[in-house]
Amino acid sequence: MTTPDWRALVRGALNQITNDPAHDEDIVEELSQHLAQRFEDYLGQGYARDHALELAVAELREEPALAQSIRESARPKPQALEPPPLGGLPSMWNDFVQDLRYGTRVLMRSRGFALAAILTLSIGIGATTAIFSVVNGVLLRPVPFEDVDRLAMVWETDRNTGTNREPASLPDFMDMKERSRQFAGFAAFAPIERTLTPIDGEPTRLPVVVATHELLPLLGIRPSQGRTFTADEDKPGGPELALISDRLWERQFQRAPDIVGRTIRLNDIETTIIGVVSAESDFGAMQILRSAAYGRGFADRDLRSRVDVWVPLRGDPQVLVRDTHPLFVLGRLADGATFASGQNELTRIMADLEAAYPSNVARGAFVEPISDVIFSRVRGTLWVLLAAVGFVLLIACANVANLLLARGTSRLREVAVRTAMGAPLRRLVRQFAAENLVLTAVSTVMGVAIAVVALRMLVGFAPADIPRITETRIDVLVLGVATGLAILTGLVFGMVPAIQARRVDLQGALKADDSRGATAGRERHLLRSTLVISEVALAVVLLVGAGLLVKSAWRLAQVDTGFRAENVVKAEFQLPASRYRNSSEQWPNFVSVHRFNDDLLNRIAGTPGVSAAAIVGNHPVDPGSQNSWRVVGREAEGQNWPEVSIRRVSASYFTTVQLDVRSGRAFEDRDGPSDPAVSIINETLARRFFDAREPIGQQIRLWGTARTIVGVVKDERINGLSREAPPAIYLPYRQAPSFNGAEALLVRTTAPTSTVGPSLRAAVRQIDPQLAVFGVKPLAEAVGESIAQQRFVMLLLIAFAGVAVILAAIGIHGILSYTVAQRRHELGIRVALGATPERVTGLVLGQGAKLTAAGLAIGVVAALALTRVLSSQLYGVSATDLTAFAAVLPVLGAVGLLATWLPARRAVRLDPLDAMRD
Amino acid sequence: MAKPALTSEMKKGSAELLILALLEDGQRHGYEIAQQIERRSRGAISFHVASLYPMLYRLEARGLIEGRWVEKAGQRRRRYYRLTAEGAEVLAAQRSLWQEFFTGINRVARLRPT
Repeated sequence: MTTPDWRALVRGALNQITNDPAHDEDIVEELSQHLAQRFEDYLGQGYARDHALELAVAELREEPALAQSIRESARPKPQALEPPPLGGLPSMWNDFVQDLRYGTRVLMRSRGFALAAILTLSIGIGATTAIFSVVNGVLLRPVPFEDVDRLAMVWETDRNTGTNREPASLPDFMDMKERSRQFAGFAAFAPIERTLTPIDGEPTRLPVVVATHELLPLLGIRPSQGRTFTADEDKPGGPELALISDRLWERQFQRAPDIVGRTIRLNDIETTIIGVVSAESDFGAMQILRSAAYGRGFADRDLRSRVDVWVPLRGDPQVLVRDTHPLFVLGRLADGATFASGQNELTRIMADLEAAYPSNVARGAFVEPISDVIFSRVRGTLWVLLAAVGFVLLIACANVANLLLARGTSRLREVAVRTAMGAPLRRLVRQFAAENLVLTAVSTVMGVAIAVVALRMLVGFAPADIPRITETRIDVLVLGVATGLAILTGLVFGMVPAIQARRVDLQGALKADDSRGATAGRERHLLRSTLVISEVALAVVLLVGAGLLVKSAWRLAQVDTGFRAENVVKAEFQLPASRYRNSSEQWPNFVSVHRFNDDLLNRIAGTPGVSAAAIVGNHPVDPGSQNSWRVVGREAEGQNWPEVSIRRVSASYFTTVQLDVRSGRAFEDRDGPSDPAVSIINETLARRFFDAREPIGQQIRLWGTARTIVGVVKDERINGLSREAPPAIYLPYRQAPSFNGAEALLVRTTAPTSTVGPSLRAAVRQIDPQLAVFGVKPLAEAVGESIAQQRFVMLLLIAFAGVAVILAAIGIHGILSYTVAQRRHELGIRVALGATPERVTGLVLGQGAKLTAAGLAIGVVAALALTRVLSSQLYGVSATDLTAFAAVLPVLGAVGLLATWLPARRAVRLDPLDAMRD
Repeated sequence: MAKPALTSEMKKGSAELLILALLEDGQRHGYEIAQQIERRSRGAISFHVASLYPMLYRLEARGLIEGRWVEKAGQRRRRYYRLTAEGAEVLAAQRSLWQEFFTGINRVARLRPT
């Protein structure tokens, strides 16, 4: 004979009585004893059990507001009359507040549940908000250009090399302007660098955009002060003028109001400021530059560059001849034109030019919407991340739903009692809603905190070439959506017990154990199982994705860069023409340049800890420029050869970066400006163009001079880790110094790389105190930046997968614990009948295994379909790589096992008598 | 004709007297009090949980009775109430009040004393 649980009954009827939980307990105890004795008496008098129960329960119902009257009876009689309760708004508010307070107390009583639910939800809300804020800030926000959908990048293409994003030549640009009807206007720009010498302080190196006068008007950028350049100012020999950014105005001039008309010193030349533009005006510049096959200028040196100065191009077609391609061309479509019609027209124009000019052989045009150029590299990544974090949010909601369902079941008794007491469904629903509201409110607050921290970390670790990444903020819209989803989950699944209460009978609910075999219980169980299986499936997808990225990163790390970046520090500078005369007639005999370089190398060699140093035109991760070339004696064959990368290096380069010389020799000091011209080629060039023939001793014609090949070196991955090494020709720096004085210093040192910087700067300053040194960092860091985006996505996906797995494990654990508790009676009987602990464990494990396996199966199928989305991020790994999939199985299997282990142990420890008595 | 049931007003009015009177003999717990009232009134007056305990707590708050938890050997603790000195005074006062009231009613409505 099971005794009814009178205490639960009384508690259910009384709600909260006083403010003191201990006192409440006393009252509950006293009243339940009374009822218990009443019940026994009725039984003793011969009443049927059900009847006796009803009568006893009915006693509680006599007084309509029992709790209220008890509460009042404990208080001394109030002196003043209490105002009668009013209907309408004030009492609704009071009820609401009371519901909230009640909800809070209930949650405090089940701290474990509350903690789990709040943690889960806040992680879900926080992570989603942070990621979506990035997506919104980068992709979805309106762009600072006017009518950006009508703007196009006009690239030139080269059929010989197969490149289709090349800068254009000045004469080509002018012809396009003249001949095109599909475009309302064109503008062109190029990246340069200038040394800014402030009145006081260190000279700094600035990225500068040199642009035709149409550029800012074409983009729809209006200066906040002053004006843009006129067409006259854009002619050769025009005045030295500049537009500066808001940022520079603040940094250098402290926002002086008389900024227009003041001057700045760029490369030792006084330049007049004619206006100020907003800091956002360089939007997209980095992305456009980095998309190009060459000519990327400062975009390669420092990913986080912001443009602060614009100067007029003043292009001279006699100097910038048709076979030089420095210009990045933008066009705005005319009314009624489309990208397709613009493409067709420009293809035709380029064909006409090709027929007219030998320098335009094999050159065409490629019209690309500018938003594609700016966003295409990151669009895919960001949507992938958004989807991934969406999964995490779904899992979090599923987990919370599961927690609420489990809790709902255990509170079924309370609900049933209160319904029997006459509590209207409406009130119950309201109280549950209040509880869930408290839960959601706390989770949201924590979620916001998490989002703020997460966003800060994201922005800090994000690859620098994501446009506008530094301007992302927490988005209120997103927070609202994530919170809404959480509230919805809470409401839907929290209401389930209230709704199901209508179907539960009082007797059944009052028994201390729960609805054995009730259909409502089976339904709920199915729902919970489904939720857990979907959690596992989602976690599998994330794990597979993370696994693929990890493998990809590992593959990248295995790549042999050719050079050894460890312990090498680089520093960059540009020798200005004002102090280092470098007219083209004297080339390569730039006496002052060579003197500086020799001086510098000598001083550096004397620095303690330095084992080698070299001067180069471009450091190993800087792709540098390309040029056309011929092999002497095979000129005709070379007509269709692509341009190759040119590397200008001092003799000590090969030892400094430890680049392997495969055959022949490295450069030596005897390869000076007046000595016989020599060159070295890399293995790729040797393989592609010399095949079986011996390259050493052959001559290459480059820049008008025949240069004898004296050696073959190992390939260097100058285009970044993930791209194959291009064919390359190395020239001794003394025989081919930079035309514009831009150089890099590479130093191999045994001292920690962070301490070498100051000594480098000091050495430079001793020779030329006005020279700005920039980009001082370990070479390894520059190498890392080339794979920054892949690494970023990988780290994030690992984080998401980790969270997903933990949540899924909690889900599995939760449902199995619940099942064990449910089946206590059955398990108790089994043990009493002789079931061994192994069998009992087996039962539980079996259920856990079924859930995990189902989730795994669905997850693998989903992953196979979904991971192709990641293809753009993968290197050396296919989207259906079996090892990644295979690796997930043991991971999830182990996690599932662990999650099952605790409930299984609990099942084994059951005291059969105790369990059966329930 | 069926007898009309005692109204709650009448019960409320007399509850104080009944409870205090029962505790005069010694301490009792709540159920006992209700049981005794029922028995001695031969079922005419009965108190349910919902009306008894608020009354008891009210009396306790006024200091007329004192309740405390008592644990007897081998049993769960139960709450016993006893009359305080002040309660005894109030009981005496109530008794004479009701006596007067009853006498007055009797003269008007001709009830028969039991």
